Amino acid sequence: MKKITEFEPKEKFKHLAKLGDKVLQCIACGDCREQTDYTAENPKWGVCVARDNTPGFEPYFARGKMQIIRSLWQGKLELSKELAEVIYQCPTCNACADACVYDMDNAAFYEALRAELVDANCGLEAHNPMNKAMVELLNPYERDNKLKKDWVEKLDFKVKDANTETAEVLYFVGCTAALTPEIQSVAINTAKILNKLGVDFSVLGEREVCCGSVGKRTGDLSAFNSVATKNYDLFKKSGVKTIITSCAGCYRTLKADYADYTEELGIEVLHSVELILKIINEKNIQLNHLGVTATYHDPCHTGRNSGISAGVTPLYEEPRILLKKIANLVEMKTIKESTKCCGAGGGIKKGFPELALKIAKARVQEAEETGAEYLVSICPFCNRNLSDAITDLNSEIKMIDLMELLDQALN
Amino acid sequence: MSKVQDAYKEIENTIGSDYVTDKDFMKAAYSRNVDPAFPDRWADMIVRPETAEELSNIVKIANKYKIHMVPRGGGADLVGGSVTQGGILLDLTRMNKIIEVNTDDYYVIVECGVTWGALLSELLPKGYTTGVTGPGSGYSATIGGGLSNSTAGGGSTKYGLVPDICLGVEVVLPNPQGTIVRTGSAANKYAQPFCRYGVAPDFTGLFMGDVGTLGIKTKAFLKLFPDPPFKKNLMFILNKNDYQQVFKLSHEVRKWVNDGLLGMSFVPKLLVQMMASQAKEKPVKRPRLKGPLCNITLEATDERIIDVYVEKVNEIMTKDNIARPFDLREINPTLEIPEKWVYKMKNLFNYFHPLISVAPAKVTCTTCHKIPFSSMDEISRVAPAFDIKHKDEFQPGSLSLWAGVIAVLPNGNFVVVGGFNADNVEDQREDSMKLWHKKLHHQVRYGGAHYWLGESISQSIVEAGAYTPDFMQFFKDIKRTVDPNFLLSPNKFHLHAYDDDYTKYLVREEE
Repeated sequence: MKKITEFEPKEKFKHLAKLGDKVLQCIACGDCREQTDYTAENPKWGVCVARDNTPGFEPYFARGKMQIIRSLWQGKLELSKELAEVIYQCPTCNACADACVYDMDNAAFYEALRAELVDANCGLEAHNPMNKAMVELLNPYERDNKLKKDWVEKLDFKVKDANTETAEVLYFVGCTAALTPEIQSVAINTAKILNKLGVDFSVLGEREVCCGSVGKRTGDLSAFNSVATKNYDLFKKSGVKTIITSCAGCYRTLKADYADYTEELGIEVLHSVELILKIINEKNIQLNHLGVTATYHDPCHTGRNSGISAGVTPLYEEPRILLKKIANLVEMKTIKESTKCCGAGGGIKKGFPELALKIAKARVQEAEETGAEYLVSICPFCNRNLSDAITDLNSEIKMIDLMELLDQALN
Repeated sequence: MSKVQDAYKEIENTIGSDYVTDKDFMKAAYSRNVDPAFPDRWADMIVRPETAEELSNIVKIANKYKIHMVPRGGGADLVGGSVTQGGILLDLTRMNKIIEVNTDDYYVIVECGVTWGALLSELLPKGYTTGVTGPGSGYSATIGGGLSNSTAGGGSTKYGLVPDICLGVEVVLPNPQGTIVRTGSAANKYAQPFCRYGVAPDFTGLFMGDVGTLGIKTKAFLKLFPDPPFKKNLMFILNKNDYQQVFKLSHEVRKWVNDGLLGMSFVPKLLVQMMASQAKEKPVKRPRLKGPLCNITLEATDERIIDVYVEKVNEIMTKDNIARPFDLREINPTLEIPEKWVYKMKNLFNYFHPLISVAPAKVTCTTCHKIPFSSMDEISRVAPAFDIKHKDEFQPGSLSLWAGVIAVLPNGNFVVVGGFNADNVEDQREDSMKLWHKKLHHQVRYGGAHYWLGESISQSIVEAGAYTPDFMQFFKDIKRTVDPNFLLSPNKFHLHAYDDDYTKYLVREEE
């Protein structure tokens, strides 16, 4: 008797094999294709942003991908660059997993499939420079890592250097906020808030190593492991016990993908909103209401991907609690677990910039429908993609990170 | 170039290269539906037309090159209905617009690729409903699939099967001309699609439950109903495992409540006991579970009316101590049951899927078949008898339920939903398919009327000898009229070709 699970996946597909035979539980019902449900706690208006913005054949959404994995296991299909072209047109936002009745962590399958593609030299060419730079330059933006300290010089107070000084909290800035001039404000404002709240914190500056999220999401596990190991050494050496980050991608990676490391080192990983909310509550700090109207975009990495992949409580409420204190919050049509992804993640922004923009434009238009002045988020990468869409649409809505609004409200 | 390649080129010229594919990984992705017992099937190409006109052109090309076609809606099919080995797979989900919601004249016009979830999310907040709310796969299942499979679902106790709410369809015929026709009042080019009958013979009926053999549905004109605002849910459990009482209670409730009866169904005792055994927290008092559980949903336009219905239902159900009111917390004390009836699509559309492939992954061979009210008691003995007779043919660890749920449909009939499962292992799948066909033949021969026929059930009806020679000839003649080359879904009903002798498929040794 030959089980499907015995189609030699262990030898041939080592990354997929790690996930066991859960793929067989996909019944191909298609709830991941289309799920419109106005009666849901947070109404669902569709599932897959990739499907909505591509030719939409089955491989563009979860059911097709799961069938492809099954066919690979059965030896009926081979990995190819042609396959990769479609598999990488997915932001790995895990909206499909949320729609599934079988508790599938679909994104984990997609990442494993991508790892198989990379191992078979079928990965996306466009991702190679990014992952190479991540290993060699310690950031995926192919820039000199020394630039990561630039934003610190714009502060009017001193920030501890984690390489030489000890602090209670390590602020892990992330490459996007540190190296994108338009988004440096996320780092600057986070630091200003921490300073105002009296948090003893440090940063790694030019020695900060990319968390490796882009490598993990795009299947370049060698690149991911390279930076993850470096970070392990840095964290160990610093003796830090709390790491905060204002980047959703870094948060998910440090929280979930580094779970073994952080557990071993006794490190707690928090998004900055968690720490700030905790302090504000503990110290009963009053925030100024800014009198503005804002809508909030849930990053996938602090939402579905944290909940489903990492098993941690998604950060749906914390940013909203803070935002409601300082602005009039008007919600979009899809929020929290039903949120439509911005389209930047999973390597799309690099591999398929037009697709990323198309998805982001749909999200911006959803935000515009609320009538809000500000589109707020807690992810520099969402920020970047949504800002591009705002520019492209010539929209009047203003993209802003919650840290910037919070800093204003703390004056 | 092969004829398939030639056809591909022409289709590409018709709908553009983005919406036709013959790549292997695309074929693999379309190789199966919710039918894990089936072997995977790879089409020659998959196309995603956006309009009836595009589809018509594809049909013309398919006829030119004599390539068979299979239409596919949401692909939530359980019986091999929307996959094809070779040929053209028509993915119709791009045709997904809600064209008109006409609340003045109570009808709605949709493209057939719209899902039930999408349509209801548009209608229900406005106080309207299609009555029948689609199958258990309604998040992803399409209106076209519901019509093609004569599906029952939420609201079927009152409103009937999906075809019962259909006022007409727009269909692309699979003939060499790719003819586009409209039925119902829409056949009158001057008329709106507001009614089904009168303009011509009821050609709509030709395409209802045809499982995509006679035409490819592109638009549907559906009835719209005001959604009665007052609803109540009642539960009872029978004090004996007596299916004669299931018949009698259903008959009486139908007789005295009728229009107020939105839903009525029974869950067999065995399944209720299984539900009780799986409750995470056990009740302090051991529940008395002696018969089937009955679930009733009532609706009315006025609260006073619904109170009368509740009183009447209680009177019927508890008379002579046949049943008693039941609260699910008797078996699962942690259950949260809302005080007021709440419309939840998740309950409507997500009750069946979790049962299909419990861990470890399973294959599931199920059917929905209708039986008359009065045969309930007999079927409750005849149906399980099959399982006993064939007990050695079931795979080790297989669970077989002659009925998982029995739901009341209009007039006086039940739909019995049941089946069996097996491990998702190559040889178990093959053996399960054989046993499934046997079981289907058995159900056909005790007079069951199936729906969602797909490939396996439609073939089983033929194999069981249910159709008379005259009927088969009539069916083939109709098929030849609309599909002279027999290109649309040729495997279903064993309608492979006009000259094909169907008697060779008859399975007589089981009779």
